[in-house]
Amino acid sequence: MVRYASPINPAVFPHLTMLLLGIGIFFTAWFFVYEVTSTKASRDLFKELLLSLVAALFSGFGILFLLLWVGIYV
Amino acid sequence: MIPAMAKIQFCVLFVLYIVIKCDSVNVDTISSDIKIKNVDRSIDISSQLVKITSKVTLENTGKVPVKTFLLAVEGTAKNNLAFIGAKDSSNKDLRLVETTVKGYDQVKFWRVELKDTINAGSTVVITTESVYTKALQPFPTAITQQEDQLVKYNGNLYFYSPYNVASQKTNVIINTKSVESFTKVKPFSQQDGTIVYGTYANIAPFSEKELNVHYKNNSPFLTVTRLERLIEVSHWGNIAVEEIIEIEHTGAKLKGPFSRYDYQQDHHSGPASVRSYKTLLPASASDVYYRDTNGNISTSNMKVKKDSVELDLRPRYPLFGGWRSHYTLGYNVPSYEYLYHSGNEYLLKMRAVDHVFDDMQIDELVTKVILPEGSTSIKVNFPFPVTRLPDSLHYTYLDTKGRPVISFTKKNVVENHIQDFQIRYTFPRLLMFQEPLLVVGFLYTLFLCVIIYVRLDFSIHKPEHPHKD
Repeated sequence: MVRYASPINPAVFPHLTMLLLGIGIFFTAWFFVYEVTSTKASRDLFKELLLSLVAALFSGFGILFLLLWVGIYV
Repeated sequence: MIPAMAKIQFCVLFVLYIVIKCDSVNVDTISSDIKIKNVDRSIDISSQLVKITSKVTLENTGKVPVKTFLLAVEGTAKNNLAFIGAKDSSNKDLRLVETTVKGYDQVKFWRVELKDTINAGSTVVITTESVYTKALQPFPTAITQQEDQLVKYNGNLYFYSPYNVASQKTNVIINTKSVESFTKVKPFSQQDGTIVYGTYANIAPFSEKELNVHYKNNSPFLTVTRLERLIEVSHWGNIAVEEIIEIEHTGAKLKGPFSRYDYQQDHHSGPASVRSYKTLLPASASDVYYRDTNGNISTSNMKVKKDSVELDLRPRYPLFGGWRSHYTLGYNVPSYEYLYHSGNEYLLKMRAVDHVFDDMQIDELVTKVILPEGSTSIKVNFPFPVTRLPDSLHYTYLDTKGRPVISFTKKNVVENHIQDFQIRYTFPRLLMFQEPLLVVGFLYTLFLCVIIYVRLDFSIHKPEHPHKD
């Protein structure tokens, strides 16, 4: 048996949070801007789903690392 | 035919069970071959505990080699006994098994299993250690703020043993010159801080003679009435430890008023009170917090040393006899210090109880280990006998079905119980993705709601130019 260390070094939690949450917020903003500016005719469901998926993925992992960074070890 | 077969089978199983059951209750006999040549005993009563260390020289006077011998504790003292252990001459721990001897129902016996047999005619030196709690009685039972605390020790003048003791000597360490009274059985001598009894020759088995010492003892008489230790394991590289501690000064009670002015002015005021004490944490401890129901207790200092983190804790008020306090102490340690793995198999090796203060005594210890969600096939190994409590579930952030909690309890715990327990469990590594994916799923549902919402029309009148839009 070997010593168990975290798969991700706790020292990079802040950087990962910033990066992932930054990208997540960018895509979230893009998604909402797209939602309010597009009209019934110009709306593309595929683009909406793709934008929201990317936004959710990055924000989700970003929030997780934010929790770990502040000391909530889930 | 078949019911009869079942009946016979049941009977056989029942008899087998009874046989096994009878076998598991240890019954020993006192070997007449073993004689104790010499005992060098030291009774340390300078703190709140009674620590008895005896260097015993055993001799095998029989013709056959001996592999085990018996340790005995007086019936009057057995309820105060917190720890008993034995070491051989090379300082290795020996295995002790609780046992009984016919005709001595009041006496508590341990069978010590030696590493090497004692051949006929040869001797072996064994060091035994026992720790008793609550064996020192404050007398008088109540004192004023200015007074010193006097306590009474009531013990056995002779080494209590099922064997004949050829010669013995006892040192009583009290670390003070102010002794009110003590038992005087010749030969004895009093040097500063110690009283020496003996040498006494040829003491019969199970001899008891009262040994009383009434002396000044201002060392902290602090009892942790309840300690709840929570260990939360996270596979993101952290183990969080939290201790909820209820503490009480169990020395002589405070009589009369308490003057904070006198206490601050004169440093010799309140000699029996506890101003502060030191707690040692593991060297890798970080993010330490010390608080109670009011919030952070700011009167604490932390010193990071080479092999430990030393906390100087000062309760909100000094503790006098009968006063109590309650606080929470917590810290984080990295997982690589205590958690091991190979593939999906994990092994957690941690202290069942940790240091609270020097010469501590804990009435009730409850340790709870919270494992990551999804851990299965949990196996536990304890260093000393404990009472296992029913397993439960703990819910915290991003949990769905709850984290398994292993808890156990033990009464009467002292420093000698600072030993590692082991928990083995299986945890599929992919389950670590469950937590981030929960957040991702939640956010994605929100976005989907928005996508659906913009497609709904809540207006109560038709658009004026339906074709333009």
